[in-house]
Amino acid sequence: MIKRATLIWMFLATAAGIGLFVLKYEVKSMEGQLATIHSKTLENLEAVHVLKAEWSYLNQPERLEDLGRRLLNLEPVKATQTIDIENIPFRPVGGSENNPNLTKVHPPAVDQTPPLFANIRRKQ
Amino acid sequence: MIGRQPLFPKKRRREPPVPPRVETGRSRLLITGALFSVAFLVVTGRLIGVTMFVEKSQPQYSKTVGKPALTTGRADIVDRNGNLLATSLKTASLFANPRIMLNAREAVNKLATVLPELNRRQTYEKLTQDRSFIWLKRHLTPRQKYEVNKLGIPGLDFRDEERRVYPSAALASHILGHTDIDNRGLAGVERHFDQQLRKNPTPLKLSIDVRVQHAMRKELAAAVREFRGVGAAGIVMDVRNGEVVSIVSLPDFDPNLPSDIESDTRFNRATLGVYEMGSTFKIFTTAMALDAGRVSMRDGYDATHPIRISRFVIRDYHAKRRWLSIPEIFMYSSNIGTVKMALDVGVAEQRTFLQKVGILHPSPVEISEIGAPLIPGRWREINAMTISFGHGLSISPMQLVAGVGAMVNGGIYHAPTFLKKPPHSRSTGRRVITAKTSERIRRLLRLVVAKGTGRNAAAEGYLVGGKTGTAEKVVGRRYKKKALMSSFIGAFPMNAPRYVVFAMIDEPSGTKKTFGYATGGWVAAPVVGKVIARIGPILGVRAVDEKAPEIEREMAIDIVTQKEGKRRLASF
Repeated sequence: MIKRATLIWMFLATAAGIGLFVLKYEVKSMEGQLATIHSKTLENLEAVHVLKAEWSYLNQPERLEDLGRRLLNLEPVKATQTIDIENIPFRPVGGSENNPNLTKVHPPAVDQTPPLFANIRRKQ
Repeated sequence: MIGRQPLFPKKRRREPPVPPRVETGRSRLLITGALFSVAFLVVTGRLIGVTMFVEKSQPQYSKTVGKPALTTGRADIVDRNGNLLATSLKTASLFANPRIMLNAREAVNKLATVLPELNRRQTYEKLTQDRSFIWLKRHLTPRQKYEVNKLGIPGLDFRDEERRVYPSAALASHILGHTDIDNRGLAGVERHFDQQLRKNPTPLKLSIDVRVQHAMRKELAAAVREFRGVGAAGIVMDVRNGEVVSIVSLPDFDPNLPSDIESDTRFNRATLGVYEMGSTFKIFTTAMALDAGRVSMRDGYDATHPIRISRFVIRDYHAKRRWLSIPEIFMYSSNIGTVKMALDVGVAEQRTFLQKVGILHPSPVEISEIGAPLIPGRWREINAMTISFGHGLSISPMQLVAGVGAMVNGGIYHAPTFLKKPPHSRSTGRRVITAKTSERIRRLLRLVVAKGTGRNAAAEGYLVGGKTGTAEKVVGRRYKKKALMSSFIGAFPMNAPRYVVFAMIDEPSGTKKTFGYATGGWVAAPVVGKVIARIGPILGVRAVDEKAPEIEREMAIDIVTQKEGKRRLASF
């Protein structure tokens, strides 16, 4: 009787010991992994930080203006190149002969005005 | 006890007499037992405490590690759209430990292949000293660090440092300021917000827009080149809340190289320099007279003869030698008319008015370089007269811009600021003139650009209004002849002003194109016109048809040309 109980206790104690040992090492290795991930994250954050500075450097208005002029043939917008949205005319009902697809386009009736334009007063 | 038989069986229950030795043994046992129980109790208590309660000394792994975050010693500075203006980057600085260096000569030769800027002789001397630490080069680029590492010289090592970097270089130099090698703010917002930038890692958001800043800087630089000026200043301010969208002072500097900054380029003409502003001050005098109800738009003054007071003579630059109405006085920039207008209002009232629009106090903007206005010690009649047309009182351009903002925006003075205000925040300005007076001033300013001295500031579609100003520079205690401060202050669009735009060129010389003139109308007004044409679309200001009847009606002004005589209606 006594012997069997002792055996059971010994077995349980050993099992608990081994279990604890394994668990401890597992936690330790996971901690290691976490630390690696963190240091890698930090490295990447630093790289992003440097890239942001470089992006800002490359986006200097002076440089963009020069690139736009030289490579894209662009120049600053003039006031005469802008128009109010309410002054944009709708396509004519008849459409053009060159493009038969346009003939089906009609200006929306008052009650069918798309919601985006609903609040804009239209000038005739 | 078994071996002993009691002598008196009846008294069995009585304790037998205990020998004293056993007695002491027992009591000792008792004490020991008690001590052990106390010890076990303490252990139990401690066990419960450790298992059930969290103590401070216990490491909390989940908390201590947490999410990794990049921390720099100094927060970033960004513009109103989030573009990076200043940031802190990690750099590596190279140092040597000469005591463990094997071959100094070989090390110098190897280093010279990747860091050619190092002085060989000096480096050799450094490497042969009997020390264990000596800087070789601070703030290496990542590529340089990699190449030095690749050399594999024993005794060389790196130390991580931080360096303030300004990616846009000189673009916003005066407002940003710069830092020293230990990253302490020495000028501009870097100095004003030094503590905040160190403690709070969230980026500091300025009201500056780099695109507007670039437009202003470029046009000012072109004007300085064209008119061979010694410097310039330019400001764009939102009149609705006082946000400064652009502030430029030329010449400027590269804050990345703080040791190379010369004192002349360091000087901020827009906030630190105080100047006599000249005719732009007539905006204040006219607004004051109209607001006080002392004159109406149809009244006027006789400007036939110059005014003599003590040893001064006040003349008109574009003299008409006749009676002039208020709009004419403004349009032709008549000193005589303006002086009479100011005297009609009163000396004390003038001082109070200028106080209200922020002329008599240093500008409240958030940088360290702020010039205090130069105000006459005793405000006598002669002072009131010269101040009415902008002489005898020196202020910084920033003060002028803030004051004019209040004149055109409906009469509310907003303190200028370099910080972006949260959207939809209610601006706390204070009323300085009535909305009606402000509306009249807008018409007058538009008149100057449509018909008067400011024609060169016109930007088609943006309904520019403004006033020219030309003042002789004060050097020492007297005026320096032929050294002018030519400025123009404008606002757009004049029917509902959004921005005040100011440009000033320091000591310009006239060119053939300007017929030798170097006045505000010829030198500074075109800068303002060009800047507005460029920034209008960027700032989302809706362009209008300046010839449209409803616009012309809004800007129309009654010009009386003769006292109580016939009037003609000018429709512009």
